[in-house]
Amino acid sequence: MAVLVDLTKCIGCESCVVACKLWNKLPYHPRRTVKRQEDDLDDTRWTVVQKKRVQGDNGREYTRFVKKQCMHCLEPACASACFSKALRVDENHAVVYYPDLCVGCRYCMLACPYDVPRYQWEEALPLITKCQLCSDRLKEGELPACVGACPTGTLTYGNREELLRKAHDIIDRNPRYVNYIYGEKELGGASWLYISDQPFEKLGFKMDLEQTPPSDYTRSYLTKVPFLAAAWGLFLVGLTAYHHHKENKENKEKQGGGKDA
Amino acid sequence: MAREISRRDFLKVLSGTSVLGMGVAVTGCGRSDKPTMGGEGWLPEQYKGTGSYPAQVKGRVAIAPDNPSIVRDDEKCILCGRCIEACENVMTVHGHYPLPLKDEIACVHCGQCTLWCPTGAIAERSEIDKVRQAIRDESKYVVVQTAPATKVSLGEAFGMKPGAVIGGQQVAALRRLGFDAVYDTCFSADLTIMEEAAEVLQRLTVKKQELPHFTSCCPGWVKFCEYFYPDFIGHLSTCKSPQGMLGATIKSYLAAKKGIDPANVVSVAIMPCTAKKFEAGREELSHAEMADVDVVLTTRELARFLKQEHIDLNVLEPEDYDSLLGESSGAGRIFGTTGGVTEAAVRTLYYNATQQAPPAALLSWQPVRGLKAVKEARADVPGFGSVSIAVCHGLANVRPLLEDIRKHGSRWQFIEVMACPGGCIGGGGQPLSAPDNSAAVREKRIAAIYTGDTSARKHTSHENSEIKQIYEEFYGRPLSERAEKLLHTSFTDRSGRIFDK
Repeated sequence: MAVLVDLTKCIGCESCVVACKLWNKLPYHPRRTVKRQEDDLDDTRWTVVQKKRVQGDNGREYTRFVKKQCMHCLEPACASACFSKALRVDENHAVVYYPDLCVGCRYCMLACPYDVPRYQWEEALPLITKCQLCSDRLKEGELPACVGACPTGTLTYGNREELLRKAHDIIDRNPRYVNYIYGEKELGGASWLYISDQPFEKLGFKMDLEQTPPSDYTRSYLTKVPFLAAAWGLFLVGLTAYHHHKENKENKEKQGGGKDA
Repeated sequence: MAREISRRDFLKVLSGTSVLGMGVAVTGCGRSDKPTMGGEGWLPEQYKGTGSYPAQVKGRVAIAPDNPSIVRDDEKCILCGRCIEACENVMTVHGHYPLPLKDEIACVHCGQCTLWCPTGAIAERSEIDKVRQAIRDESKYVVVQTAPATKVSLGEAFGMKPGAVIGGQQVAALRRLGFDAVYDTCFSADLTIMEEAAEVLQRLTVKKQELPHFTSCCPGWVKFCEYFYPDFIGHLSTCKSPQGMLGATIKSYLAAKKGIDPANVVSVAIMPCTAKKFEAGREELSHAEMADVDVVLTTRELARFLKQEHIDLNVLEPEDYDSLLGESSGAGRIFGTTGGVTEAAVRTLYYNATQQAPPAALLSWQPVRGLKAVKEARADVPGFGSVSIAVCHGLANVRPLLEDIRKHGSRWQFIEVMACPGGCIGGGGQPLSAPDNSAAVREKRIAAIYTGDTSARKHTSHENSEIKQIYEEFYGRPLSERAEKLLHTSFTDRSGRIFDK
């Protein structure tokens, strides 16, 4: 499943932001040691709407709003970086975080190409936070909170293939749109897809991402690591056993020799 | 006897458990059925249920953070969707312009969303502190004006029934707050009528291409026109609103008369309206780089201000407005309701055209009264002909009227438009006195407005003796050069900010 964001329809009402706060019971006035940027993600803001002023091709400036949240990659770098399996992809392609498995290493933050996971710096026992795509709601057949609350039809939830078809259809029919679906191929594809009438780079999207999922590069040898470790252990055990055996034999020979003498 | 543990055994146990723990963590054996993070909160009823049945009433309107009139506290928002109902269906702003956005989110600042919001998340941008500071500043001469519609609604914030008339108590309360002078916007409503009646007469006789004439007292309607119907801007009355007229008069005529430097005058207006805050910030509504009106407080803010200062409206004796800019005729007093401007203008128009007092029928002119969406009337002026009039309130009713005029031309010569349902008495800055923003409350306030007219000694603006005085001493005559400079304004085509141009 996936969400299609039609940026041309967003009016910046931030219904999605409030829906996220309400459903996930995120605080509005958290204790802060460091002041954070108002329109950026943080541990109490899993989605934000950022205002952008964009210069159009005709030289005129336009106002655009860009919703930001976890992209829910199909092959998430965060999940492959997480050695305690606290981040996993569920049956609806939501990248879900299990806090009781997290050891707090923050590898996911380093791994995420979109700079999404946020750490609870002010907590004594901090956790990672990010959009869960309302995985609990999806399991009940309900819409993600943000999608359900959007009054302008900017957000559409549905089957990823169908949404991609729909997005291509919109782009083909309407020359206003940029012929690009952000999230279709980025790092192997994401569950959040964006279409826009203004170039994505002007809207602050990362455009230098490869199409190969990062985990593909490491899978070939990282999958062999457990076997290597086990083999190395076995080798050492064997070596020790051989050493002991040899020592025993020598001792016996010494003792035997003494008797003989 | 305690069993002794060797250091070696202790370290073995310790490393053993940690290796085991790491193993469990690495293999993910601790797979848990505990819920994931998130989902601990709630959403309103309409967002429950499966995705294929989208909610009908959902989301909320967009409010720019720099909106001069209204602000929203996200923490109180429950996404009930009522602001969208008000904005889209009562005022026809949200959803009535094409997306993608151009420059800005359209807002006419009417504040109806503040009346509909059940949690108080959307409210006026409060400027009480500005006023309090100005009053405390000894070097400032702080004057205040009160709009007609506030006189029939402020009481509701103090537990009175809708329709309680508290104009006199309001004056007393404002004096207790420490204002140096309390003036009446009904006075400048009379002034507006003098100017507007002269302007209408001019348009009816000479500048016929500027017909139909649209009233422009209502800042919500004016901005709506600038956004959606810029082709009618030339038909708007060039008269400033009563708020602007009194503001300009205070900082020119009054300041000179009292020998005060206008730069030291702080002009405050008590309005039933959030759009007046936007209006006060218009560049056109200033002269000599001074805004005509410095601060606008809504009726709700005034009530809050009074309560903060422990002033109870219930126990105050009515007082009179300060003279010079305090007298009002019945015509000025009915500005606060839909049809009021029309009735007041027609009375003086009749006099201007015939030099005779208007007949009794025009002093209680029923066709323009009441809450009907579009009221049509015809005023027969002997020796001049008849003027066909439309009175419209609630922007949802205005839109089809204007579309019709665009297509078929206007069959009216004079059109009064008020953005809010019921006119100013139903304004977005009025007290939240009924659970519903209901017509019943509006009717009671309207009835109270008309008692102000019937109880007045004079019923036409031109009879107001202070109006006569100000024209003799300062403005000369309606539409004079000085009047044009201080009492008239211009408008901006804003359609390019929301439409492709």
